Amino acid sequence: MTASLLVGQFLSGLTTSMFLFLIASGLSLVFGVMRVLNFAHGSFYMIGAYLAWQVVTWLHPVGEAFWPAALAAGLGVAVLGAVVERLLLRHLYGLDELYQLLFTYALVLILGDAAKYLWGTGQLSVHRPPVLDGGFQLVGNTVPYYNLFIIAVGPAIAITVGLVLSRTAAGRMLRAASADREMLDAMGANVGLIYTGMFAVSSFLAGLAGALITPMESIVPGMDVQVIVQAFIVVVIGGLGSFWGTFWGAMIYGQVLSFGILILPEFSLFSVFALMAVVLIVRPWGLFGRPIR
Amino acid sequence: MSARRIPWTLLIFLALLPLPWIGSRYQTFLGTEIAIDALFAVSLNLLLGTTGLVSFGHVAYFGIGSYVCGILMKTYGLPFVLAFPAAGLGAALFAVVFGFFCVRLTKIYFAMLTLAFSQIVWAVCFKWNAVTGGDQGIADVPFPNMHWMASLPYVGDLNINGRFYLLSLVLVAVCIAAIGQITRSPFGRMLTAIRDNRERAAFIGLNVRAYELSVFVVAGGFAGLSGALYGIFNRGVFPDYVFWPKSAEVMIMTILGGMNYFWGPTVGAFVLVWLNQEITNYTQYWPAVLGSILLILLFALPGGILGGLARGGAALRRLLAGRGDA
Amino acid sequence: MRLRHLLAATAAALLLPVAALAKGPIKIGFPIPLSGPTAVYGVPILKGAELAVADINAHGGVLGRKLKLLPRDSKANPAEAVRLARELIVKNGVQFLAGTLTSAEAPAVSTIAKENHVVFVAPSAKTYELTDPQNFHPYIFRTASNTTIEGQAGAIIVAKWKNVHTVATIAPDYAYGHDAIAAFVAELHKLRPDIKIVDQEWPKLGQANFTPFITAQMAKHPDAVYCDEFAGDFISFVKQAAPLGYFKAIHDRLADGGEAGSIDVTRTLGKAYPLGIWTDAYDPVLWDGPNQPPADKAFDAKVAKALKIKYGSSWAIQGYVTIQAIAQGIRKAGTTNDTKVAKAMSGMTYTTPLGPRTFSAVNHDANAGEYWGKMVRTPKFPYAVISDPTYYNPEPAGH
Repeated sequence: MTASLLVGQFLSGLTTSMFLFLIASGLSLVFGVMRVLNFAHGSFYMIGAYLAWQVVTWLHPVGEAFWPAALAAGLGVAVLGAVVERLLLRHLYGLDELYQLLFTYALVLILGDAAKYLWGTGQLSVHRPPVLDGGFQLVGNTVPYYNLFIIAVGPAIAITVGLVLSRTAAGRMLRAASADREMLDAMGANVGLIYTGMFAVSSFLAGLAGALITPMESIVPGMDVQVIVQAFIVVVIGGLGSFWGTFWGAMIYGQVLSFGILILPEFSLFSVFALMAVVLIVRPWGLFGRPIR
Repeated sequence: MSARRIPWTLLIFLALLPLPWIGSRYQTFLGTEIAIDALFAVSLNLLLGTTGLVSFGHVAYFGIGSYVCGILMKTYGLPFVLAFPAAGLGAALFAVVFGFFCVRLTKIYFAMLTLAFSQIVWAVCFKWNAVTGGDQGIADVPFPNMHWMASLPYVGDLNINGRFYLLSLVLVAVCIAAIGQITRSPFGRMLTAIRDNRERAAFIGLNVRAYELSVFVVAGGFAGLSGALYGIFNRGVFPDYVFWPKSAEVMIMTILGGMNYFWGPTVGAFVLVWLNQEITNYTQYWPAVLGSILLILLFALPGGILGGLARGGAALRRLLAGRGDA
Repeated sequence: MRLRHLLAATAAALLLPVAALAKGPIKIGFPIPLSGPTAVYGVPILKGAELAVADINAHGGVLGRKLKLLPRDSKANPAEAVRLARELIVKNGVQFLAGTLTSAEAPAVSTIAKENHVVFVAPSAKTYELTDPQNFHPYIFRTASNTTIEGQAGAIIVAKWKNVHTVATIAPDYAYGHDAIAAFVAELHKLRPDIKIVDQEWPKLGQANFTPFITAQMAKHPDAVYCDEFAGDFISFVKQAAPLGYFKAIHDRLADGGEAGSIDVTRTLGKAYPLGIWTDAYDPVLWDGPNQPPADKAFDAKVAKALKIKYGSSWAIQGYVTIQAIAQGIRKAGTTNDTKVAKAMSGMTYTTPLGPRTFSAVNHDANAGEYWGKMVRTPKFPYAVISDPTYYNPEPAGH
């Protein structure tokens, strides 16, 4: 195995990782604060991808239409998430987690069909933004600028959200909300607003990730179910509810998949699932999470 | 207290028995599917309704059952009489291993671990080309040998699909009756005690985990049996039969009918399969309709159909009683 | 004597509803992927089938009855295809089945056709296993090419390339990919024993992220690649491979047997199409050369008009000839009885815009070849086109 090979495979794994991190971080945040495992997170991601395509098409696929489209997709999905939380999900908080699980699954079904209705069933794609066309050479590998951008965006968002969570008053409130909702209620904090905001931020991350994937992967029905499985594995490995755990979970997932394809191709898919199983058995709260009762 | 129980399983079984003779080929086809789905849903309800365990990975045992039966019958040419129980045993065996880890967790973590294990089973079925056929599964799983039915009166006139309906109905009825016995046994009452108050059950000296694991294995075994029938019914086994949306589907069936009622899952299976057939006549957007049904259930009818009927019946009785008083 | 009269009367009474039913249309169930990555091929196949039904009905139908197509979205999923095929038979009462796209769907539906004695014609699935002695039954027919022909044709092309000592393969991880690659490798070993296979990648059908497969393959530095990615997967593959310098590294020496020369693919990829690769199509539509049969020219014009897309589709022909073959079989048998139609179709020669094809009497395979060539851009056409399309079956045919 040459250095060139290792670097190439590492970079392809890293691109996968940072993408998954962008998606899984929202899933993990919502679980950490609200204890809701949101199956519809993948659907939000898909809606983000379609919205990005829509805006690019409106603005014509010339110039740098991709950037406003990505932002619009993130914001659009954030609004959708906030509306869903305020109108529906909110009424299920006191109930068994079974009802919340099924509620998010109902969203998967409805949003999946809504996307088919609005954007058809074929395969759509978005061109790479011209400013990031091309790539550079690194130890015998061509690294596309777009992949580099993704690798940079993932940690950037992680650090931003991480800082917000640890340094600001809103962040402290969120962590308090995840620790003890009743106490926060008693203190007079507007938990309802915090939850809505949380859900909107999580949806924004999903929508943004959906938009950012479009120059690399096609937009097709079914991408929602595919991605939620991957995001699920990432958060389980890293630790549900643990933001940095999700980061490392995504790193591990990407590299295991990437080097799995290189070394044991028959087992590459299986290896990430096996890793998830081992983590669940040894540390059900994830490699970087803390046990929550 | 000592009033004789109505043998519902037997009555329903007898009522459904003549379907292949009086119904169309299409109705027999639907009947078979409903029977198999009903067993799957009833097995899930052992966990969900009886014990209060939210398993989001029940499809794993259904899928293992269908693959075990399909592989034994198609690849190894084993007869159904061996492959069918093997499917149940195989699924139960996996349920022992997975359940051992799952019951150590509670609530949402239990749900997630069950989901995770079911995804591992899916990944194996999806990738292990040599044994499971991978992505394309195993087509052309043979029907059980049903030639012996030819000598039976009336049954001899039926075609193979009619005969398979009868075979499925008998097996499903026996399984559901067995599950009913389990629910009503002292063991079943302990499960209900765990559901109602896990801490108290542990406090009075119940080995909660052992009980939970036992019921997990039993439910897995019955799910495996229903999966075995499903694979034969569809003449093939495919990775979709182990994929997580099927877990959600069976859960919807159970809740739609009413998970607090023994016959809830069966009612749910019937209504869902029938609705699917009716609605797909008019629109391709069945998933959206299913999602909407689910929303209505969650927000307006949390007790499911049977719960709603019971509530409606009680309200009616109160109304009539009120009239009587006036 | 009297008993026989009675029996005849009873039989007549029993047949009466059948006779009444016979006045309705002849129903053909058509499960085919209409959503997801394979819809790029599935939709035009269905359009071609609809066009054939319209043509036949405009000329009075078959045996005085109209044809009616019942299309369903199989999502390229064998479990879904099986469910739909059975529903079409028991619920909608279709007399014939056609369609399915992938080599996962077709064998599963073939099981249902065998069990219900319904003729099933596959326009696209290429796995040889569909009609091999183990799975063959009287009701299965195929208008598509097959993996043996495709793999051999691909090997003949690759074997001619100069300075190629190592070859890698990439193909979807299911029957089609495995069977086509096996046929390719076997033939290549025969033609060029000196060439080594240095890498084999197996992404799944519907793979979204090809990057790790591409980088792993590039690391083995193959001189050339044989590829079986098709439809939306080929499009995703190209979009991810090109920025990584994949095509440059192999000097565009890639042959793809997944009909990547179809105008449906070249149109979607537009300027992103990797020029210089060799690939195939059932009907190149935009012929960069003089050898397009006039019948095909007329057919393509008709498709373009019916589909309301400029230049039409390379896949419509497969749906069209599939329905035409069924109609011809019914006419030849003089009845819609599937068993008799199947007998009539066995060994039957049917016409296509690209010349006659014959269902083998042994395995009902039309053994169709495809048009191969190098992908180029010419000032004449807006998309990449197959340069000098040549019919390979498996040897190249002279014009």
